[in-house]
Formats: sequence, C-alpha cells, structure tokens
Amino acid sequence: MSNMVYLLCSLPSLNFAQVPPISFDEFYQDSEKQLSKKDFGMLETVDLRKMDSDEHGKLKHFARLYADLLGDMTELRTAKTEKRPVRLAHLPKSLADGNPLEREKQIMRWQWDRLDDLEAGNTFSLVNVLVYKLKLQILHRLQSMETESGKQVFESVINDAKRKG
Amino acid sequence: MAGIKIKYTKTERAKQKKILKVSQRMLPLFEAMEKSLMSTINTIAERIDDIRQTIEKNREASKSWLAVMGDSWGSLAEFISVNEVITKPVDVAGVRVQQFERVDFNIVEPSANTPLWVDDAIELVAEQLQLEAEIKCLLDQIELLEEELLDVRARVKLFENRRIPNAKIAIRKIGQKLQDDDRLTIATAKVVKTDKQMEVAYDY
Repeated sequence: MSNMVYLLCSLPSLNFAQVPPISFDEFYQDSEKQLSKKDFGMLETVDLRKMDSDEHGKLKHFARLYADLLGDMTELRTAKTEKRPVRLAHLPKSLADGNPLEREKQIMRWQWDRLDDLEAGNTFSLVNVLVYKLKLQILHRLQSMETESGKQVFESVINDAKRKG
Repeated sequence: MAGIKIKYTKTERAKQKKILKVSQRMLPLFEAMEKSLMSTINTIAERIDDIRQTIEKNREASKSWLAVMGDSWGSLAEFISVNEVITKPVDVAGVRVQQFERVDFNIVEPSANTPLWVDDAIELVAEQLQLEAEIKCLLDQIELLEEELLDVRARVKLFENRRIPNAKIAIRKIGQKLQDDDRLTIATAKVVKTDKQMEVAYDY
C-alpha cells in the first residue's frame, strides 16, 4: 500500500491536452520499482487500444464503456455508409459534425472523463495506476497528432501510392 | 529547288501539276489537323489546371485536420494502396491515347476499434490519388498529341515551303522551256522553209 501511495504521489499529475510530463519508459521504471510483479504485469498488459471486458478485471466498468464507445463508432460508420442521421447512444451528438481531428479529440476527451469517473471511487489503488497509464496513453496519442507529422504521413502515402501506381 | 533536276518534258509537267493539285488539297487538311491538335492540347491543359485546383482545394479543406494523420495509433499506409490505374484506349484528334477511367485501390476495411479518422483519410487519399492519376494520364495524352502536332507541323511546312513552291517553279520552268523549244522549232522550220524557197529561186 505504501509503495502504491509513494508511486502515485511521485508521478506528475496529468491534465487533458497537456504535453505528456513523463515518458512511458520513465513511468514503467518507476512503477516496476514500486509494484509487485503481478501488478506490474497487469499494468504492462492494460492498453487503451485493446480494452476487453473479460481481460481487465480491475477496469471492467471502463471496458464496458469502451465497448459502448466502439458501438457508437460502428454506428457513426454505418450511418455514413447508409447516408442516414447518426443515432449515438453514449458519445455526444456533436461528434458527427466535427472534422476528423476534432472528432478524435472529442472521443479522447470522452475517454478521459470516463477514466476520471473511474478514478473518483479509488485512492492509491492499482486502479489509479492503471488509469494513469491509460491517461498517459491518451496524452501521448494527442501529442502525436501534430500538423507537420500529419502532413508528412499524408504526403508519404500519396507519393508511395503514386510511385507504385 | 536548287539541286533538283527537272526533266523538261510534258509528262514531267503533268506530274508536277498533279503534285501541286494534291499538295494544295492536302495543305488545308493538315492545317485543320494542326488547329484541332492545338485546341485539344489546350483543352487537356485546362482540364489539368482544373484538377490541380481541385487537388489544392481538397488540400486546403483538409488542412485543419491533417494533424490527425500523425496519430501514433493508426498507420494510414496499411489501409490504402493503389492496385491499378484503369484506362481505355480512345482516339483524340486522330491520335490513339489512353483515357483515364478510375483507380483500383486495395482498401483494408477499418475494424471496429480503428480510429474514425482513418475512414476520412482513406477517402481523402483515394480522391487525391484518383485526381493525380488522371493528371498523369492527361499529361501522357499531351505528350502523344504534341508528338503528332510536331509531325503535322513538319508536314504543313513541307507543303507550304517546299512541295507547293517547288511544283509551281517546276511547272513554270518546264512551261518556259517547252515554249522556248516550240519557238525554236518554229524558227528552225521557218529558216529551213526560207532556205528551201531560196534554193528553189536560185534553181530558176
């Protein structure tokens, strides 16, 4: 318990859309020192891209929300294909109108808020560390969405395809 | 014309007249072909400009969200690549060229947890690549049409500067020579006749 308290107190606090204050390597190094092997193993496996309600016992509720999010994403895709109005069950309705970047940010904001909710009932527990990792993933992802790198990706896809075509 | 040996015969004159007649009939055809090729090339160039404007417009429209493609969670290149550019042969201003039909893409359907922006990026990339492929096709068309235009221009020049003037000169020169020959024959005949008359007078 004291290790968990120490770890959580030593980690920099995270705010949405800020520059990540810590790298994953640093986070893992600090966590490995303070967590048991089992807890650290769980921390390593938890991944915002692969949230699965059966696997992550500690984050079951969030995994269910994540499944709902995927349901809404599927609805957004289907509605676009079928050219009909979107019926979102969980995500904000405004999501359908924004540009792809705004939409992705809104989705991440939604995930962040759900993680905040999850954190609210827990203090100095493994859940808080897991949530910290997921939030850190969101921040690193947000950080990667940068105009210059996006432009480079776009140009390289176009140029590669042109060369091969 | 210099260096060309002309046969000063009626047959040659007839031949040159035929060449002149054919050349004068062909010249307007080649001139019309030249005009048609030039106008087609201009139309294609305008189409290329239009497509380039559309590409630029799309680029401008996507500027506000291009950053999302830097997303460390999605690799756009895995979702779309060009399989084949489909074209069909058509005759444009008498030249066989390849006309752009469409681009056949290899598109990997995004899964449920693929970020949503990937769908939009696939659409944008596909549209830009279609437009780029059409430009390439049109540039190839221009290249072929320009080759043909050079050929037609050379023919027009050949008719304007060589065949028609040469035939005209040849006809004139042969005409003069034949006239001279006629005059000479008449003069000779007159001299012979006079000589004969004088011989007859002496005899008496």
